[in-house]
Amino acid sequence: MRASRAKSRVPARRILIAAVVACVIVAIALGVLAYLRSPQRDLPYRDSFASGTADEWNAFGGTWGIYDGGMRNDSDERGAKLMTGSPYWRNYSVEADVKLLGEDGDAGLVIRAGNVEDGVDSYNGYYAGLRTRDNRLTLGRAEHGWWEGPTVSIPGNVHAFQWYHLKLLAYGCQIAASATYLPTGKTTTVAMTDKDCLKSGIIGLRSYSSGGEWRNVVARRATEADLRAMVIEADSSRKLSSNAAAPIFGSGSLPSHLALQPPPPESAVQSIASLRLAPASGAMQATIRGVVSLTSPAIYVQDSTGGVSVLPQSAPSLKVGDEVQVTGAVDAHAFSSTLRNATVHLLWARSPVSPVSVTASQAATGAFAATFIEVEGRLRSKNHGTGDQLVLDLDDGNQSFRAIVDEGRGELLFRRLKPNSLLRLRGICVVDPNFTRNLTPFVLLLRSTADIEVVSGPPWWTARHVVAIGFVLLLLTLIGHFIYSRAERWRLRAILEERERLAHEMHDTLAQSFAGLGFQLQAIRNRMPGDIPAVHQQLDLACDLVRHSHEEARRSITALRPEALEPLDLVPALENCARKMVKGGAVSIQVSRAGEYRPVPLRIANALFRIGQEAIANAVRHAKPSCIGIAICYSEDALRLEIEDDGAGFISGRETRGFGLRGMRKRAAALSAHFEIISTPGRGTRVIVTAPLPPRPTLNTFPAYLWKRLWEIYPHAQARKQTYPHSDRG
Amino acid sequence: MPDKAPSQRKPVQKHSGTACLLLGLCLSLSAGCRFRDPVIAVIPRTTGTALWEPEHEGAARAAAKAGLQIYWNAPTREDDVQRQIALVERIIDQKYAGLILSPDQSLALMTPVRRALAHGIPTVILGSPLPMKPGGKLIYVLSDDGLAGQMAADRVGQILHGKGTVAVLGIDPDIAGVLDRERSFEKALASGYPGIRIAAKRMGSFNVPYEQQIAEEVLAAHPDMGVILAVTTDATRGAYSALTEMHLAGKVKLIGCDQDLLTPLTTGEMDSIIAEDTYDMGYRAANLLARARRGEPVPALTRVSPKLITKDNLGSPEMRRILGLDAR
Repeated sequence: MRASRAKSRVPARRILIAAVVACVIVAIALGVLAYLRSPQRDLPYRDSFASGTADEWNAFGGTWGIYDGGMRNDSDERGAKLMTGSPYWRNYSVEADVKLLGEDGDAGLVIRAGNVEDGVDSYNGYYAGLRTRDNRLTLGRAEHGWWEGPTVSIPGNVHAFQWYHLKLLAYGCQIAASATYLPTGKTTTVAMTDKDCLKSGIIGLRSYSSGGEWRNVVARRATEADLRAMVIEADSSRKLSSNAAAPIFGSGSLPSHLALQPPPPESAVQSIASLRLAPASGAMQATIRGVVSLTSPAIYVQDSTGGVSVLPQSAPSLKVGDEVQVTGAVDAHAFSSTLRNATVHLLWARSPVSPVSVTASQAATGAFAATFIEVEGRLRSKNHGTGDQLVLDLDDGNQSFRAIVDEGRGELLFRRLKPNSLLRLRGICVVDPNFTRNLTPFVLLLRSTADIEVVSGPPWWTARHVVAIGFVLLLLTLIGHFIYSRAERWRLRAILEERERLAHEMHDTLAQSFAGLGFQLQAIRNRMPGDIPAVHQQLDLACDLVRHSHEEARRSITALRPEALEPLDLVPALENCARKMVKGGAVSIQVSRAGEYRPVPLRIANALFRIGQEAIANAVRHAKPSCIGIAICYSEDALRLEIEDDGAGFISGRETRGFGLRGMRKRAAALSAHFEIISTPGRGTRVIVTAPLPPRPTLNTFPAYLWKRLWEIYPHAQARKQTYPHSDRG
Repeated sequence: MPDKAPSQRKPVQKHSGTACLLLGLCLSLSAGCRFRDPVIAVIPRTTGTALWEPEHEGAARAAAKAGLQIYWNAPTREDDVQRQIALVERIIDQKYAGLILSPDQSLALMTPVRRALAHGIPTVILGSPLPMKPGGKLIYVLSDDGLAGQMAADRVGQILHGKGTVAVLGIDPDIAGVLDRERSFEKALASGYPGIRIAAKRMGSFNVPYEQQIAEEVLAAHPDMGVILAVTTDATRGAYSALTEMHLAGKVKLIGCDQDLLTPLTTGEMDSIIAEDTYDMGYRAANLLARARRGEPVPALTRVSPKLITKDNLGSPEMRRILGLDAR
């Protein structure tokens, strides 16, 4: 009864333990999940961009890069975004210093964002920005479209190239934003309530047409008190603000150039392509109009006829996509031109031009010099150039080219680029020897690292991968071989142990019985009267038979006992065995050994021992020798065993009938060993076995040995089955 | 034996009850997923502009009525054909319930649209046609560019009182509707106003400085120019810039196409705009998709009349709707 209770307690306890373990695992998993989804995780978040890296930020459009300790988007692209943070942040604020880089557009901050894509308003989230067109602080919700909320005018207007401190706060379904003009410290605040609000999301920097610069980005947990303080400010701002807001499409202004720029000086504008026809002698002044396609490391402007590099008199604040009028002295080159001492007049901001897709071969003709192109190539090498530049060497078919880009948002992309990856690059095709150094037909100057797109990674069959795979296969083979060898050894051990057990059994039962039987027969014979010779004769015969059987049993026991081979050195093992067999007789045992001793695998040693044992036993049993010789010779790749006697010998060819000889042959065959019996009647017998040995493991020989061994495993296993058909059963 | 049967049945009933409960839970969960509103993708030529945002409003309103959701996105530039193709490809891969597309380029978008149709996605081409016959799952909701040309001719005739010169700028073969608009204009002008001569015709692009350059060349070559008809938004901007720089704004009348610049209308620097009713087109397109999804017969081609916007009617409710000024 108690036993059954104990039995029933065991599974119950196991179930309890399992349940506790499961609960602990679930609790840990839930804890990890709760931590990962915590609205407070990683808050407060700060990025001053001082380290020069911004690996955790993801760009959606624009040309983002870190310059002078700030994150800058030098592009007129509408709705360019740079995002980071946790999608589980809920009640928090984000603030940063913001500067617009253009007179027409807006720049600001995004909060609680999700589903972010390339596109003007392609995200779900809240945006607050400073807008130049109507000089207002705008606040609204983007949901792959723009739902503008309240706006409030900024006293003294919104100025490009001036720093503002912008704060955007989300608490519950209330959103508030404030902008402080840093030179004066004046703050303007706006707030809104969104009934069906977005509950959580990441933060972002965003600009529309104007480009922008951001620094000191901080996101921190927000409380109701923080919100209340901003809402009170918003109410006072609204009272001061005029309400004449123009209808706005998208989150920014229509790209209007109305009266934002002073008109450019009147001059005859010519196409960029016509500059190449400028006279070689004498400086020719020319005026062109076009869109800025690159600002760093050189300024390039492009119209529908081609591109031109511009060396301005003074460093203008230009962005990619600005439409400009440029007047300067023309330097005409073979494939493109340069405008020196140029005056650049900004006409208006607009979206950047689209690249022309060409092949490297087409670009190498110079037909697309100074033009914004898109080209594909396979990455051959990557290096750090002068300053913060990254230099990529690529080729596509027969053409090699180089791409140069400012490091921008850090080394993340550079680290991710793997040699032999197929890249799609967008940049200005430059054939100027100052850049190409006449090493490649053209160089691609990229606007930012966002102009690098990895089309596909390197092919997997690289030399490194093949070597790695080969190494892994070799390792697996070695492990397999090791396991197989171990298993074989264990099997042999098991067989030997079983034999030992059998030997003990035979010794304790059969041999003892024979001894007792012989003793009893002897006792009977001694008590028998001597006048019955026929009975005496029969008893003598019976005693002889018992003695003979006893000897056979002892021999079998000796043969079965594995301890003979324990030292694994064949010479003393066989000598010991021979001396036991001839104990009490006149047969002498001579032992010789040649060559350098080396360890022999157990499988080979066991087989040779059995062959030698059988040969010695045959000599003792049948040949009546006066001397038995045991010789072993170790060579580099083989082990030779010779058992020789000077006994009766026999006629060669008749030995096949003997079970012992057949067994010796089969054992030799299992080792792929050469087996030979040389015997002449009256002149003794010599049994020679030459077994191949595995080579000593060196780097050169081991693979060949392994291969050979693997090929031998199967036939060996077959041969073993034939030799020991019941060995599996012990 | 009979008295054992109920006791044996009991656990089975318990299990079947639990199974039913689980099945019900699974069904209700899967139903929650399955019966979520289908999503149709609306891909205009670009977003965030006066021309295309009303389409968003119209499509969203019709979709909401029909129990559909919309996905709204487009390239940031009207000439970014690759990006628009990539968007269409994504919509095909993600098996949207329908597609409303305003192609950036009539030839390049043919293959993606054919792929969408091959994947069983009903597709409405909105604004300008593709060189493909409508029918089946391909539906056209187009701006009546023939009527736009006629309206432009009438407006030119009205301005010039039947006699004078006109220039046509911005003829862009990438957008089929623009060609239709220009051809219709020529035809209507020739038949209705034989005294008016087309002094210059220029091809167009998405490059405003280039358009401005062309306009300046045309104005320099034809000092007697009475009217400029700019058939695209970029040509309108270019012509307007040229006129203001040459101090001819208001003197040479400018008729623009596709709503973009509105302020010059109020100042009189522009005469008029022939606006596409993208709100109505978006509404109709989403409505037709919903009907097509229900298996109802739908017209393969619908033409929506453009509207002439002048300083006088800019504040009318209809124009405010077309321009999306009252939206949201």
